[in-house]
Amino acid sequence: MTDCPNGDVRDLLPEYLHDRLTLADRRAVDVHLATCAACRDELALLRDLRGTLRRAPAVDMDAIAAALPAYRAPAAAPRRVASGWRIAAAIVALAVGGTSIALLQRAGSRATPSTTPEVAAVPAPADAGATAPDEGAQPASDDLASAAQPAESLAQAIQPFERELAVAGAAINELSDGELASLVADLETLDAVPSTEVETGESLTAVALRGALP
Amino acid sequence: MPDVAPTIDERTDLDLVARWKAGEQRAATLLVERHAAALARFVASVGSREDVDEVVQDTFVRAFTSIDGFRGDSSLRTWLFTIARRLVLDRRRAARRRGELVEVHEGDVATEFDPLDGVVAAETQTRLRAALGTLSPTQREVFVLRVSEGMSYREIAGTVGTTEGAARVHYHNAMRAIKEFLDD
Repeated sequence: MTDCPNGDVRDLLPEYLHDRLTLADRRAVDVHLATCAACRDELALLRDLRGTLRRAPAVDMDAIAAALPAYRAPAAAPRRVASGWRIAAAIVALAVGGTSIALLQRAGSRATPSTTPEVAAVPAPADAGATAPDEGAQPASDDLASAAQPAESLAQAIQPFERELAVAGAAINELSDGELASLVADLETLDAVPSTEVETGESLTAVALRGALP
Repeated sequence: MPDVAPTIDERTDLDLVARWKAGEQRAATLLVERHAAALARFVASVGSREDVDEVVQDTFVRAFTSIDGFRGDSSLRTWLFTIARRLVLDRRRAARRRGELVEVHEGDVATEFDPLDGVVAAETQTRLRAALGTLSPTQREVFVLRVSEGMSYREIAGTVGTTEGAARVHYHNAMRAIKEFLDD
């Protein structure tokens, strides 16, 4: 069986067979078929193959229809509340966690310069003054003051962040129900579109029948 | 979203879906009557014919229980075929895990009415079934949807999860394989 070199027409033959072509396309194919034996043969083969493929076992349509559930609108409200609280909890966790990380980073960066005097504040030997003078050598009273500096600077660094942390925690806690609902509603818009992938698992007929039972 | 206006059939489907959602159970029955036979042909051609009834029923149950997930990006018909195909593939995978033979053989193509055919017609049918049996699973899916159901390449691409170009290549490769088999 030879192939017609006119691929465009051959491409249309299945739709010609199913009468799905526009009138203009159908006429064009008719004109071509009148002069092309190869396309007429291919169309005849397609007709036979369609006849073969369409010999399917009959299905019990009444049984199928009986197994179908009644429509149930998605129960959006309970799901939104449940997921809303989860999201609110996640926000609190993120706020606390994020603030803590920022706190530690800021505190760490402020504490770093104070390590230099700390190293310099190592008590000098008693006879240090008798030996060559050392820039790092300090009187004993100064050593104590220097040693206290890092702790003080750390406390000073922490103070504002403690306040921020408290504010962050309180901000969520002090929201009214309405404000929280509004926040949750806004967050809902960030949700991904629910998957419509077909799950593969137990027979769906069985699931539907279970659902249909009182 | 579709870039062409819905056909009368598609509008009818959407109308029936809306009526079913409004509580008219009869609309669901009409949808079954419109599409069950085509789905059965497809399942019988690409899967095992023993599973046809169950797969078709599961297809409708799946579709109706998740109808809100149908966004109208494709026709309802294409969506139903997509679900049916996935159920067939799932069963095929499950059978493979159980170690069962899952290749589709020529005999799997339904032959319910063979006793009524004449001898010559039966021989022709046998040869055609044998030719279809030489196709790869993907070629068979594409070919069945195109020849048996008259789907466009766009609809086929949506159903089997490929591109229109790939669907066209699969179809022409299948046609060539069938011709070569019949010429031998």
